[in-house]
Amino acid sequence: MTLTEQLDKLLMKVEKPARYIGGELHSVNKDLNNVKTRFGFAFPDTYEIGMSYLGLQIIYHILNNTDSVFCERIFAPGIDMEGLMREENLPLFTLETKTPAKEMDILGFTLQYELSFTNIINMLDLAGIPFKSKDRSESDPIIAAGGPCAFNPEPLADIVDFFMLGDGEEVLKKVCEIHQSWKARNGNKREFLEEVCQLKGIYVPAFYEPIYNENGVLQAIEKKYEKAPDKIEKNIIEDLDTVDFPNSNVVPLIEVVHDRAVVEIFRGCTRGCRFCQAGMIYRPVRERSQDRIIDIAKNQIASTGYEEMSILSLSTSDYSKIEPLVTDLMGMCKQNNVSLSLPSLRLDSFSFNVLEQIQGYKKTGLTFAPEAGTQRLRDVINKCITDKDIYSGMEQAISLGWTSVKLYFMVGLPTETYEDLDGIAEIAKNIMDIAYRMNGNKRGRFNVTVSVSNFVPKAHTPFQWCAQDTMESFEEKHRYLREKLRKIKGVNFNYHGTETSHMEAVFARGDRHVCETLIKAWSLGCKFDGWREHFKYDKWLQAFKETGIDDNSYAFKAGNPEDILPWDHIDCGVSKEFLISEWNKANHCEQTQDCRRGCVGCGINTHTECKQEGTL
Amino acid sequence: MSRYVLQFYKQGYMKYISHLDLLRLFKRSFKRMEIKLQHSQGFNPHPKMSFVQPLSLGYTSVSEYLEFETNEYEEPNHIIQKLNEAMPDGIGIAACRAIPPSKKTLAAMVEYASYELKFKTNHICDWNEKLEEFLQQDKIIILKKQKKSKNLVEQDIKPMIRDIILKDSIVDNNIITLTTTISAGSNFNLNPENLMKSFCTFLDIPFEKEAISIERKELYCSTSEGNGLVPILKIEFKN
Ligand code: SF4
Repeated sequence: MTLTEQLDKLLMKVEKPARYIGGELHSVNKDLNNVKTRFGFAFPDTYEIGMSYLGLQIIYHILNNTDSVFCERIFAPGIDMEGLMREENLPLFTLETKTPAKEMDILGFTLQYELSFTNIINMLDLAGIPFKSKDRSESDPIIAAGGPCAFNPEPLADIVDFFMLGDGEEVLKKVCEIHQSWKARNGNKREFLEEVCQLKGIYVPAFYEPIYNENGVLQAIEKKYEKAPDKIEKNIIEDLDTVDFPNSNVVPLIEVVHDRAVVEIFRGCTRGCRFCQAGMIYRPVRERSQDRIIDIAKNQIASTGYEEMSILSLSTSDYSKIEPLVTDLMGMCKQNNVSLSLPSLRLDSFSFNVLEQIQGYKKTGLTFAPEAGTQRLRDVINKCITDKDIYSGMEQAISLGWTSVKLYFMVGLPTETYEDLDGIAEIAKNIMDIAYRMNGNKRGRFNVTVSVSNFVPKAHTPFQWCAQDTMESFEEKHRYLREKLRKIKGVNFNYHGTETSHMEAVFARGDRHVCETLIKAWSLGCKFDGWREHFKYDKWLQAFKETGIDDNSYAFKAGNPEDILPWDHIDCGVSKEFLISEWNKANHCEQTQDCRRGCVGCGINTHTECKQEGTL
Repeated sequence: MSRYVLQFYKQGYMKYISHLDLLRLFKRSFKRMEIKLQHSQGFNPHPKMSFVQPLSLGYTSVSEYLEFETNEYEEPNHIIQKLNEAMPDGIGIAACRAIPPSKKTLAAMVEYASYELKFKTNHICDWNEKLEEFLQQDKIIILKKQKKSKNLVEQDIKPMIRDIILKDSIVDNNIITLTTTISAGSNFNLNPENLMKSFCTFLDIPFEKEAISIERKELYCSTSEGNGLVPILKIEFKN
């Protein structure tokens, strides 16, 4: 039986079989005779999640625009499908041609969240590829990885042959070029890796070795290949207008999480929130021009038939010409009968005006992220929102007839006390008071949802030296908040699971030792750890125990700025001095201004130009 | 306002997309072609477009029908050509016909569907004889789950079977191919799987859903006189 015949048999039995069939509008097929590099883009989660991720569409588009490269998609099969695949010995395959993943030249995983790491191992297993680089043969694919979690690549260092740091658009093409000449001269893998590590932003972990002392303290990161760079600098696309962007996205045949046209309007963020990894690793801010954005949006709508479009960036309102851009987009969408959705707008009068127009009668879905309950703690984390901002925004919302708002906070932030938690409850209460004041007795049915996530210290942020709260402490805080908020009518409360936050902390600051735990946990049945229904904390604890890893020493570790960190050889462009000074300022509750008001010296401008510096 | 009926096929992997997915696909395809569909009135307007008879997930078909209304008249050939440019492999438009507006939907006019059923079996018998015996029973009783109460009730499906034929009497590689015409639509509707299940029970052989492949061949309504059948595409409209 061929793979396709086998597949056909399985598809009759699984949930959402169309996850596995490919064939969507704008998916690509190529004559394999002309293809020299077969690239498998592997997303370590289900089809519905992977297809909602813009990065996939960008890479797919860019690679397939190169004639000699064929990029095909591979997703993690659902649990039911996986079971059948194992029963029938059906290997992991690509959607486009149903080719076994093992036959790809390069298999590239995207690392969006730490809790997807076990899925990578599971996918390699389903593909019949040995997990560790050292166990793979010359005929196995080269395993690559990129995405935000590649900035602390060490937990996957034994698995991945090379990582790509920063913007992938240009370097991926170069990697494929090198692959083709290397393949033509029949080189071995070592030669390939020696060559690609010369490219900017390419990290080959096998060329480095962390050295620990007898107490298990990291002493140095030694180079094993002389010509490998001392520090691996991320790639930066200087001008987004010069790189290709998908005009015709692959349009899923089944419903996915985000099923709409989408244009990235800028990369990076100038605000400098101290807990935020994205705010550091994507610096500096680079904007796509308004003309290009409108152009791409029009093309996408025309080529896909989508009825909804959205824009993407870290903090939408910070686009330098946000008002003309949004006005233009609204006009264009209206003309094309497309609904526009605008995420993470700052709640000012312009935004409300826009929301009035695009949402019409539908006044739900307002969100706001003060992150911390008191001004003091907001100063610590450098979240520059004042009480006044919050309440004036809410007054406007309520006067315009909005009936609900969702507020996002974090607990477990450095220096946090119960006063800061009281602050969260106070904000919720004050907002309800505004609703009573403006809408009378029934508060206009207005309600507030307080959504709390648990702080996870991340690499390359000023809080990378900070210990995470213990699980008991998180739970105590959740309980405390729940009690406080329960007493306020119209307020709902929800919070994230502490166990998954704990795991995230272990891997976000993990070193090479935790790789064994990952593999162990997988062998005990852990996968889809980001899915509440699949997360198995007891198995994780067992895996830590059996591999001799103390999870707490990773999560609760409070470091010193002098320490050598497992990711010190990875250079995201923001200097360690800056992170240290930010960490010190945090401890003194001092804010750092948004660098659109003037450079604050993060160091990225030694690598590239900061166009938004001092523009406010 | 113009009204059309579109005939299309659904083959290969496309049998795995549900009819809601297919509806969305058509909606987007019309949007891409800049053909404006007529919308229903009301609070939550939706385009006037519906399948004449939804096809179950996992079945292929050579003749499915979509009924829709546009704001302005479009040349049917133009619709076929443009839609085919946008369709994924496995879905293709075979015909498009402008039809007179009416309050009665085509879905309300369907009476029969024909299917080809292929299944693998080691069972050896004279299939024609068995089919005849099967059909000559006084009643053909199946157990059917009631929609609301979920209780199983007996149902006689005999009146809903117009014919079952062993196709070309070829018994090849243990694969048996039958064609059948059975009731479909809002009045009487027989699921071909239930028919197969009942036939297997009659033969005392196991019924395995995954081992049967089902393809819809045509949808029919009755001719105005006699009890002949006419494919939906050729339906006659009286003025
Ligand atoms: S170098 Fe200065 S202007 Fe550029 S991102 Fe860093 S702080 Fe902002």
